[in-house]
Amino acid sequence: MMTVILPTLAEPQHFFAWERWLFAILAILSIFGFWLRFGPILKKILQSKKDPDFHLFPIGRRVRDFVWEVMLQAKVIRERPLAGIAHALVFWAFCAFALVTLNHCAVIFGLGFLDPAGRAGRVFFDCAALFAVACAVGILGLGVRRFVVRPRWLGAVSRESGVIALLIFVLMITYLAAFFLPAAGDAAHALWWAHTLTLLAFLPLIPHTKHLHLVLSPFTVFLSRGGFAEIPPLSGDEDFGLVAGKDLTQLVSLQAYSCVECGRCMEHCPANNTGKLLNPKEIVLGLRGYLNEYGPTSEELLLGKYNSQEAAFECTTCGACEFQCPVGIEHVPIIVGLRRGAVNTGAWDDDHGAKLFLALERGSNALGMSPAERDKFVEKNALPIFDGTQEYCLWLGCMGAYDPWGREIVVALVRVMRHLGVSFGVMRKERCTGDPVRRLGNDLLFQQLAEANLEALAQSKIRKIVSICPHCVRTIQEDWKAYGTPPEVEHHSEFLARFASQLPSVQNQERIVFHDPCYLGRYRGVYEEPRRVAALAGDLVEAPRSHERSFCCGAGGGLVFLGEEKGERVSHVRAEELAATGARVVGTACPFCNTMFRDAFSQVSESSPGAPAPELMDIAQIAARGLPESE
Amino acid sequence: MKIVVAIKQVPERDAQVRIASNGKWIDEQDLQWAMNEADAYALEEALQLKEKNGGEVIVVSAGPERVGSTIREALAKGADRAIHVVSDDLNTRDSLGVARLLAAAVKLENADLVLSGLQSEDVGLGQTGVIVAELLGLPHASMILHVEKTESGLKIKRELEEGWFQCIELSTPAVLTMQSGGNKLRYATLMGIKKARTKELRAVDAADLGVDAATVVVLEQLSAPKKQKTTHILQGTAKEAAAALVEKLKMEARVL
Repeated sequence: MMTVILPTLAEPQHFFAWERWLFAILAILSIFGFWLRFGPILKKILQSKKDPDFHLFPIGRRVRDFVWEVMLQAKVIRERPLAGIAHALVFWAFCAFALVTLNHCAVIFGLGFLDPAGRAGRVFFDCAALFAVACAVGILGLGVRRFVVRPRWLGAVSRESGVIALLIFVLMITYLAAFFLPAAGDAAHALWWAHTLTLLAFLPLIPHTKHLHLVLSPFTVFLSRGGFAEIPPLSGDEDFGLVAGKDLTQLVSLQAYSCVECGRCMEHCPANNTGKLLNPKEIVLGLRGYLNEYGPTSEELLLGKYNSQEAAFECTTCGACEFQCPVGIEHVPIIVGLRRGAVNTGAWDDDHGAKLFLALERGSNALGMSPAERDKFVEKNALPIFDGTQEYCLWLGCMGAYDPWGREIVVALVRVMRHLGVSFGVMRKERCTGDPVRRLGNDLLFQQLAEANLEALAQSKIRKIVSICPHCVRTIQEDWKAYGTPPEVEHHSEFLARFASQLPSVQNQERIVFHDPCYLGRYRGVYEEPRRVAALAGDLVEAPRSHERSFCCGAGGGLVFLGEEKGERVSHVRAEELAATGARVVGTACPFCNTMFRDAFSQVSESSPGAPAPELMDIAQIAARGLPESE
Repeated sequence: MKIVVAIKQVPERDAQVRIASNGKWIDEQDLQWAMNEADAYALEEALQLKEKNGGEVIVVSAGPERVGSTIREALAKGADRAIHVVSDDLNTRDSLGVARLLAAAVKLENADLVLSGLQSEDVGLGQTGVIVAELLGLPHASMILHVEKTESGLKIKRELEEGWFQCIELSTPAVLTMQSGGNKLRYATLMGIKKARTKELRAVDAADLGVDAATVVVLEQLSAPKKQKTTHILQGTAKEAAAALVEKLKMEARVL
């Protein structure tokens, strides 16, 4: 039907010989201009160190990510629907235009392969026209957003972006206008040249603007490590993490050049939103600046001119940035890599950090307590020692074994397990899983802790672990793999959700808001299980930021053990957000979140004594609340 | 400045020690070992002196094979080389016997400064360092928090009782036993451990050093302190009882 409504695309029929020469020269100049800038970038990426852990296979996951994130633009749209759809329209138009452009350029040599008057050509050009309209609307929308609305995370207004947007808009208009001109006239001829010159001007602008993502990001998405916040292994005796340019791997360099500067990472970053120096976008752009100045074989330190140590150590490793990134940049391994570089070489000098490291070098737990305290807790609560006959090993973790509130969570979980008749035992001795030192970049200490624990678990013939701490779960399951085969491990929310039908629900129902811990949600993809448990005790309400968009409590990445925060406290911001839902109970599923909010609520209620702080409960405590008293 | 640091490996702090069946030492099975804390401070002081003034830091440690892990930790933290005095009878030697081993190993180094911790966390006699000084015929000072190199020798800060400090000057060579807490300790790094592998670790034994195992003091028996719980009801008015409580907390419990 469209073919009837729309006029035919005007395609100039005759060109002079000098026009062909001029076009050929301009096209070569344009491509040369592109290569002049793109060549060195490609060289820098290829010259970077090989990624030691890179495997192209299994390729299915890569193809799926590519189709979903690049072709369908699903991530772009899902996380920012309005701007995302505008972007997708532009992207899809570009795809449709690949053939149009090829044909457009071929026409001058009389080699046009799509006949505008023919049936197939008509259908194709008309479809492309639809995309062109969509693209023009999309780019206008994006232009308005960038130059009128100007959200904070887009950074300073860039003239280049304006030029590029204008060029894209002109490209679309010059294409559409051709439908309304007679093919034979001078006007069509002039229009052809207008479209062509716009195209040739666009190409060399790509490599040195953020529009380089057009070329690189499909590769970045396809080649990404895949695992969320996956910390790559160190290779050889000279690898201490990201110390200098020579340590940047091809993936890191590719990612550094792929950044489209959209600032989604910054929009969601808990550190950046509470007045800290850290800006995940600037971390990536800092690497790009470094590569441009020093290159990928340099010995110049990465934490220097372009990136600061202070910023690298403000990251809670919550992964919100990496989750949001539409071009496949893996921020957490980069930031942890920079920390590894600083800690593994001894360049990081921090009183609290050194105290944590020394506590774990000489003792067993991150809280620096005597292991006898754990023994007392185990004895007092008559926790059975795992002897091979029980089904589960209940992993206490540092918080569960030593922290008074963490212990209450363990005690509640134990009540539930006893009620369910599930057999379990605890290790006679446990060491910290190494989570905080892993994220702070101390590979030596992490390896010692992982190996000692793996050996102890193997000796006790433990096959199934359940833990109240998402950090322990993550570290055991993923990070220990570098040093052995860890047993099966699950978080208590998964365990409790399986038995939810056997747990009594609580009578006086209250409004409950559940806070997704980063290491359970984004890291493990567990969102519904803890909610199923929390729902036993009340009506669930959601915080403005929940599920994949949950806002960190501020404890992760070892930061709970470091000193004063700059600016606002992350935990206070989140606690206020949770309290503002009007829920009477805040449900948590991580002992670190729990302790952060406990402090935050006591501070908040001190400053506004009128409004009582909500009650803070782990889901294990929620599950145990409905049990008869005697149990 | 050439500095030798004597280091002892002791059971990890908070380790649950059990007395061995012969009643003369602890059962070493299942124990985790660590560097004696005061020795860690001695090493830190030596490393900082080297960083300021240049020179070399040599660690020496006596004990069985397991001591190697503590020596490597010291090398990882920045010591330049190490001497391991291999001895399986460390716990039957008295302080003089251990000091003889260390002094013999240290003597050949002709160091400007010999440091050790004030005392060990396991037996805590506080003797070994000063006996080494006597055996080497060197001046010594104990309970040192801080050492500074001067034109003529050393300026050192000693800890006295009740928050008093004493600053003294000393000529080199000298032997000092270090108190804990004078510095911030550094953490071990991956780079340090990797570098440590290429550093010299020389093993010698008592025979090489020409030291016999004759003891002056013999350890008869080890026993755990008796746990006892007693309850006193303080009589009198609240005021009298409070006064009596304060008196007891001061004089008996010594917590005030």
